[in-house]
Amino acid sequence: MSAPHGAAAPPEAGRQKEPPQRARRSAVRRLGLSRYTIVIVFAAMVIAFGIDIPSTFLSIGNLSNILGSQAVLFILVMAVLLPTIMGDFVDLSLGSSLGLSAMTLAVVNVQHGTNVVLACLAGIGAALVVGLVNVFFVVYFDNDPFIVTLGTMTIVQGVIYIISGNNSVGIVSTSLSDWVFNNDFLSIPLEFYYGLAIFLVVWYVLSFTPVGQKALVIGQSREVARLTGVRVNRQRAWAFILGAGIAGIAGIAYAATNGTVDPPAGSTLILPAFAAVFLGATQIKPGRINALGALIAVYFLATGTAGLQLLGTQSYYQQIFYGVALVAAVTIPKANRDRIFKKKRSA
Amino acid sequence: MSVGEQASAPPAVELRNISKDFGSNQALDGVDLRIGQGEVVGLVGQNGSGKSTLVKVLSGVHDPEPGGRLFVSGEEVPLPLAPGQASEIGLSFVYQNLALAGGLTVLENLTLGQRITGGARAWSPINWLREHKRAAAVLDRYDVRLDLDQHTGQLAPVDQARLAIVRAAEDLRRYRTRSGHKHSVLVLDEPTVFLPEEDVEHLFDVIRAVVAEGAGVLFISHDLVAVRSITDRVVVLRDGRVVADVAAGGYDEAALVDLIVGTSARSAASAPAEEARAAAKLAPVISPGPGDAPLGGESVAIEQLVDGRLTGLSFEIGAGEILGMAGLIGSGAEDLPYLLFGARQADRGTLRLGGKALSIGGLSPQRSVRERIALVPADRHVLGLGEQLELWENIVMLVEDEHYRGGVFHRGELVSLAREAIARFEIRPPQAHAVTATFSGGNQQKALLAKWLIARPRLLLLHEPTQGVDVGARKDIYRFVKSAAALSQMAVLWVTTDFGELAEVCDRVIVLSEGRPVATLTGEGLSDDAITTAALRQIREAR
Repeated sequence: MSAPHGAAAPPEAGRQKEPPQRARRSAVRRLGLSRYTIVIVFAAMVIAFGIDIPSTFLSIGNLSNILGSQAVLFILVMAVLLPTIMGDFVDLSLGSSLGLSAMTLAVVNVQHGTNVVLACLAGIGAALVVGLVNVFFVVYFDNDPFIVTLGTMTIVQGVIYIISGNNSVGIVSTSLSDWVFNNDFLSIPLEFYYGLAIFLVVWYVLSFTPVGQKALVIGQSREVARLTGVRVNRQRAWAFILGAGIAGIAGIAYAATNGTVDPPAGSTLILPAFAAVFLGATQIKPGRINALGALIAVYFLATGTAGLQLLGTQSYYQQIFYGVALVAAVTIPKANRDRIFKKKRSA
Repeated sequence: MSVGEQASAPPAVELRNISKDFGSNQALDGVDLRIGQGEVVGLVGQNGSGKSTLVKVLSGVHDPEPGGRLFVSGEEVPLPLAPGQASEIGLSFVYQNLALAGGLTVLENLTLGQRITGGARAWSPINWLREHKRAAAVLDRYDVRLDLDQHTGQLAPVDQARLAIVRAAEDLRRYRTRSGHKHSVLVLDEPTVFLPEEDVEHLFDVIRAVVAEGAGVLFISHDLVAVRSITDRVVVLRDGRVVADVAAGGYDEAALVDLIVGTSARSAASAPAEEARAAAKLAPVISPGPGDAPLGGESVAIEQLVDGRLTGLSFEIGAGEILGMAGLIGSGAEDLPYLLFGARQADRGTLRLGGKALSIGGLSPQRSVRERIALVPADRHVLGLGEQLELWENIVMLVEDEHYRGGVFHRGELVSLAREAIARFEIRPPQAHAVTATFSGGNQQKALLAKWLIARPRLLLLHEPTQGVDVGARKDIYRFVKSAAALSQMAVLWVTTDFGELAEVCDRVIVLSEGRPVATLTGEGLSDDAITTAALRQIREAR
């Protein structure tokens, strides 16, 4: 009767633990509020900042700043989401793909004077190449994505230094900056809407198509998916490639927003992006990497950062805020339903 | 066996009156077992006769019912044993899977047991040169020649088995020196299953060396030839009771088979009545839906399947027929569902499914799903269900695409489809949105069956479909498969080592041994005992 192998043991243990937990579940759990913890904390935070510094925090300028300034990060988050949801937990190279895309755009546009649209396509193309390389080594050769993308991240970073000659490159075409950053709609820079559009597509595909449902199954158990007839590797490959492509778009938004591109551009964004994805996985659909949760997480982190900034705190306190949120993100689901994170660790 | 021997030296291990109940099922019923020092005792019996339960009582996995007693070298040890306590009273186990770390070297595997210490000793330095010399001496003692630096996974199966036995024997020897006791017992659970015939003798040499060192051996196997050639005494278990405790030389294999199976065929008097009741109930369970015309029914033929142990296996499954494939572990039967689904690539073979010939070697899960071949794998936790998905998501996994029309994913339709299946397959509690891992094994298995039956398969492949499933759910599963086979005229291949189950559900059973069909049983001739007899007899003839 008893399954002797270790694989069956954790769920067994979880099942046995379940009933006593249920018997004394808290009000938060009874009302199903745990999946909205960030939303609640978010609201509380807005109210607190609003009472404390109403003139600056509750202003259109601040809203515009929060929504606009995070667009690049938010697009990158959507890129990170795709491989992560399929259980390829870390594509570290996405930050470098962003940087490569931005730098390619800048070099082609500024130093070679190529048309800005072509330059953008070149940037996205460069990012897609990184995605293809990852697919080749991770999916085709079945390597650990962490190790492979650690390698490709470093390689791509090196390539960025080579093509830029270790210099900041600028200033990219102002018409690009106009279309991304300078022009606004309802006082919010256009790039926010671009991010929103990408979010809507990702969200729709993941939540409302069989492809998204299959991605979820792949993320939960690759073998179950395989034996259900899902083309697991093909779908994983697409996730890496599309993820890289979206990171490329994020790179263009980065170049347009900043005007000049520094060689280490993407490397500072990748960890906050992962923080947002994992924080988002505790929300809306707890234990599942999901686009809506990630959206909320990004702007939760951004609002917290902006509030702290307006209060005049030093920027290193904001780092602490990010870190605390991330640790909370991996701990909350343990307190909740013991879902994905535990599984990944034991696997 | 002799009284004089018992009086002169107490047996190394003696179990008295061991019983174990699993709910209504009595796995062990007053079992006595004695293993003398330097004695090799064979333990044989059908699947489900209680052999592994007995081993698990000895290893401290199962707690026996009160009243059972354990004596080690004449001294009583209170039962139940705590996990890990077995090694402290001079018992050591080698299971079929050997518990070797394939990525480590022979030396590392051999010394692994000595590393499990706590406190300051865990930090004491390891002198690898000295370990190397010591390990070489150990292997020499048992006359086993292995490269100590080779990765264990690269060794031949027999060398892996020998290494595992040497390691266990060494643990026992260290126990004897440390404690000053003379007794120790090595338990070998099905050690010859995956070994080619010519290698079994090499394994026996190691066992003889272990016995020469003074240890007793409990040798559990289906391989009666092996049992007769290595053991001094054979204990036969049937239905949880010892039915014979005899000198190994006194019986030939045929006589042993008779002891194992028993001459009294078990009465199946209650079966027909139960069957009729089930049939009455099953008709509405899987009635074809409105848009779901009953299929004409297609027979399935497997021709010249070659892979590993299977050398050109051919058989047919009629439309609506439930074909059982019986065989002891290692017979090749357990590979069939996976090969026919394309989960694992076969070397070659042809699968004829409704007038279409498919190459079995070229099957993939995608192709099989498209051809409406269904696989219910044995390991549902790993292969069958996404444990963290909600139940409905698992059930509708195969039909999602049909409910995505014009860019709209009709999730509501899928949920109600799943709810319908939950009702039809009597899954408790009937909560479509509960996480799958929270359901009991039986209900998970029903959900897995529902997942595949919803896709209206033409060929259903089942591997150990009632493993870890309670009796009630087991009956339900029999009923669902039977009704589905009858109503949609689907062909079913049922593979399990539970021969009683095959006798109960199958229309026909083929017995495999060493990859070859050795008997086909139907109708009156189809019974638990007949399957066991065929499976055991054939092992003898194959050797």
